[in-house]
Amino acid sequence: MTGINKEDILEKLNPADSFTLAMDEEIRQDGLAGSYGCYALELSKLPDILVLQQRIDEFSQRFPVALASLQQIGRHFYWCKRNEPPTLFFQHHCPDSENEADFQQRTIDRIINHRQARETTAPIEFHLLSSPTRHVFFTRWLHPFTDARGADLILKYLCTADVTQRRQFGLPETEPLVNAQLRKYRWWQKISLLLKGKRYIQTLDSLASIQPFNCDARPQRLNYSIRRLSEEQTERVVSLAREQVGLTGTSLYYIGCLMRALEKMHPDNPGAAYCAPYAFNLRKQRALTPMTGNHVCALFAQAPREIVQDRQKLFAHLKQQNAQVIRQQLDYAFLPLMWAGSWLSLAKYGKILRQSAGSEKERSSFWFSDVGRLDMPADSFPGAEIKAVFYACQVTSPPALAFLSSIYRNQLTLSYSFVEPIGNPEQIERLHQLTLAELLGEAE
Amino acid sequence: MKKKLRDFIFQELVFVADPRQFSDDDNLLEAGLDSMGIMRLIMFIENEYGVTLPDTEIEPDNVQSFNALEQWILRHQK
Repeated sequence: MTGINKEDILEKLNPADSFTLAMDEEIRQDGLAGSYGCYALELSKLPDILVLQQRIDEFSQRFPVALASLQQIGRHFYWCKRNEPPTLFFQHHCPDSENEADFQQRTIDRIINHRQARETTAPIEFHLLSSPTRHVFFTRWLHPFTDARGADLILKYLCTADVTQRRQFGLPETEPLVNAQLRKYRWWQKISLLLKGKRYIQTLDSLASIQPFNCDARPQRLNYSIRRLSEEQTERVVSLAREQVGLTGTSLYYIGCLMRALEKMHPDNPGAAYCAPYAFNLRKQRALTPMTGNHVCALFAQAPREIVQDRQKLFAHLKQQNAQVIRQQLDYAFLPLMWAGSWLSLAKYGKILRQSAGSEKERSSFWFSDVGRLDMPADSFPGAEIKAVFYACQVTSPPALAFLSSIYRNQLTLSYSFVEPIGNPEQIERLHQLTLAELLGEAE
Repeated sequence: MKKKLRDFIFQELVFVADPRQFSDDDNLLEAGLDSMGIMRLIMFIENEYGVTLPDTEIEPDNVQSFNALEQWILRHQK
């Protein structure tokens, strides 16, 4: 240990945290800010700042890792205490001279692209953007600190008025769910799973992945685009998803539609198949714990180009693939792989996670996350109503594109995150129009 | 059968504050059983009861409660 006392260690990163840390390193190597996730609540008016500040303070006291510094000790990384706790809550006011929409875009752009050393950056920050008619509560976290579901729990914590109910969050305290799941296997079962996982990846890697953009340009900044569907459109999408992929794979419908939209946009892009990683959460649905840390395992949806071109065949393929993966326990096969990966250097682990074996080609055609239907009461935010939500996340280049979906107040929100100048707003607009037509079943 | 289903769902898939208060007719989908959870539940049922549940029957009517699940399994055990 260099310069860090043992008693300063709060937590060791779990294998899923290390997975996100390897991606953080890859994104930083691209010259971008790092692996940050962002979750925004659009509010009806200026909230009760005092209550908000008190709850944020209380949250950081209950979960001190929110104030920690990420430090490497030997091969592993740890959340460690720091002498000067970072500021977690920031307020940004729109100057009278500036257009509100421009102010919001500019401020969020600055927050998501802010570059800071991993050791000094705060694990999580809360930003309140206020202007006469627009108010946004914007949360940005460093991915090893928590996953999207954890961020959702943290926001729910801040939105819970009753102190007794707030105390229920984070209880019972458990070890990381990734470790708990790994513990269920005997050592030979772990080895068997690890080999199964390796074979699964090799099969995926036999088809070169199609990339959405030409990545020759140097990545400069993350941009994002938010598109919200009406309640009627959302209802139609949900009904079509159920028709096409049934109750067992709503996320697959979004993935399939995006694959088809990308194929229509660039039918000549090299490669044999679209491949999208997505995570599944090990937390029980509706559980209020664990609040921090990543508790996910990875899955892939992959479809050869000729199948993507046929809508019916594509959804049947994705559905069958998903069933097969779960039936053969390939979803859990990533757990021992993540454990093994956490012993590698970040650079080596990052390459293994991203590149197809034996080539230097990117495995992922895009990053995908479906947050699902959010159940946060609209009137729960201190002093303001939650009107809508949206997300953004930093992504490696390639693929330079991440797609996040969620439904709040019966409206589907599609959040496109993309790296400029590799992707640009005009391309994303075109991609969105094609995706929307697919989602609504209106594509030719 | 319902006890095993209850143990699996409440231990692995869905959090409810007090499982004893959750009746066999209460709605599992409203309680948070999601698409990934349904898939896992089906694998559990197929392994545990030696049945094959057809994809075409994975509908809310068959998975929305413990009673519905039991009826669905029994239809395929016969």
